[in-house]
Amino acid sequence: MTGDILRVVLLALQLGFVALLYLVLLRFAGSLLKDLRNAEQAQIASRSGIGRLAVLESPEDEPQAGSTIALGPINSIGRNVNNTIYVEDDFVSSTHAMLTFRGRSWFVEDQGSTNGTYVNGHRIDRPVALSFGDELTVGRVRMRLDR
Amino acid sequence: MRITWRGVELRLLLPILLLVPLGYIVTHIALSGTFGPGPMELALGYVALFVGAHLVLVASGHRGDQVLLPAVAAMGGVGLVMLNRLPQDLAGTRAFGLELGMAATQLLWFGVGIVAMLAIAIGLRDHGILRHYKYSWAAIGILLLAATLLFGYEVNGARLWINLGPVSVQPGEFLKIVLVVFLAGYLAETRTLLTSARLRIGFLSIPPLPYFLPMLVLFGAVMLIAVRLNDLGTALLFFGIFLTMLFVATGRRSYVLIGLVLFVAGSFVAYQLFGHVQARIEVWLDPFADPLGAGFQPVRAIYAFGRGGIFGEGLGQGLVTLGGSLTIPFVHTDFIFTAVAEELGLLGAFAVLGFAAVLVFRGLRIAALARDDFGGLLAVGLTASLGLQTLIIIGGNTKLIPLTGITLPFVSYGGSSVLASFLMVGLLLAVSHRSAIGTDAEPAA
Repeated sequence: MTGDILRVVLLALQLGFVALLYLVLLRFAGSLLKDLRNAEQAQIASRSGIGRLAVLESPEDEPQAGSTIALGPINSIGRNVNNTIYVEDDFVSSTHAMLTFRGRSWFVEDQGSTNGTYVNGHRIDRPVALSFGDELTVGRVRMRLDR
Repeated sequence: MRITWRGVELRLLLPILLLVPLGYIVTHIALSGTFGPGPMELALGYVALFVGAHLVLVASGHRGDQVLLPAVAAMGGVGLVMLNRLPQDLAGTRAFGLELGMAATQLLWFGVGIVAMLAIAIGLRDHGILRHYKYSWAAIGILLLAATLLFGYEVNGARLWINLGPVSVQPGEFLKIVLVVFLAGYLAETRTLLTSARLRIGFLSIPPLPYFLPMLVLFGAVMLIAVRLNDLGTALLFFGIFLTMLFVATGRRSYVLIGLVLFVAGSFVAYQLFGHVQARIEVWLDPFADPLGAGFQPVRAIYAFGRGGIFGEGLGQGLVTLGGSLTIPFVHTDFIFTAVAEELGLLGAFAVLGFAAVLVFRGLRIAALARDDFGGLLAVGLTASLGLQTLIIIGGNTKLIPLTGITLPFVSYGGSSVLASFLMVGLLLAVSHRSAIGTDAEPAA
């Protein structure tokens, strides 16, 4: 008799264990679905551009360190105020570098600047393809290309 | 540091933390035949570990993915319940005056793994550092391999183990992380160049050789030694990771096609040259040809799946031992999925697959949201590693593909495997934290 009770209790507990497994799985599914819906909206809000520059270091604070610059397909960087990205730094030439989006990638080309353009700490001597996360340095200003 | 409430994580963790103690109770009642909870220290220890990990993430203001930790807890929980149910003398530790059974040792490794995961998730606030040392990583990888070749000893015909005092480690488990980090760094840099193919042979476009060569050399070395070490599962896993990352980085189908052709050719050559490969294939095609010898393991596994049926035999009620020896050799490592299927049935087996799918889904989401190419590729590689490893070993268990001895992440018993899997989740957390904080909150260096 006790054996029968034991078997019934065991079966119930066992089914409870499997049911709990599926409860967990259901919760996962729920949170994933909710997330997908949110992600769609977040994507529209944040991913309208083709890229942006995060300013990591800027001694003269123009552009401001910690700020983010939205990029168009063609960007000129230099100390001349007519540049798309105006940089106030004594070590930057008036037209220092060009940052362009061609096809599916970003490229940077030095415009004959005095102090050179650096990608990940290496001075460039020809147009170089950038990937997201690369660091770009002109003068004393250090920036990172972000999505 | 500001704390962040990780509500989603907590809500997902709670039912899982019920799951493990319940599994322990069911197992105890089934095995002892008496009512009562039985020894619960390990189950409660498991709960405490994950609650602790959650609290540390909350306290440190971590804003990384909130579904990864619960998914890991679910897989590990099912694994611990199964390991607790198996004979405890299958494996264990006898060191530092401690004598631990199998489940206790596994829990110990979960503790070590969680600490390592938290250290990476919180300490590695900028995963970009990893990228700068990619050739150092390649060198470490080659050293790991060389160490295995020189000092490794064999278990079951595969030379994977190195003895380090009280513990034996499997360098291959850590090698895959090194491979992913190196490939992510390398591909992030050469992605644009690899995409602009210059050589064309027929309809196939070949990447410019100088950029491709270092990768081919490294990869050739990995494959060669993996085959020399008789570790086919790891070789297959590495190949899958490599192709996935290459495809994601370049978006070119021709590379995948070339890779698959190479794989088929390589498999054929390996089949012709190596006896152990031939034996594996023959056992896979017809395990019943030699049911008591070479086909013993797969035949017993097939029977176990059959006994389990849809609802399973019940925890603690499967046929684990027969006449004092295991019905399926290595049930605690390579065949843990079979044990789950026997005792929890098709339903339980599907649930484990579901948890793995959640893990992969989140990993790919982290990759898609990563702000830099390196972070994205890193996340893709780690996810591919965890996902493919799951598929390869479950496919081997169910006789879908030839059996290769690798572990089921977080479920199988094994310190190296648990620690390596936690390191990977730690990296995924670090990448997702970085994209969550965005660029605005970044302090100027």
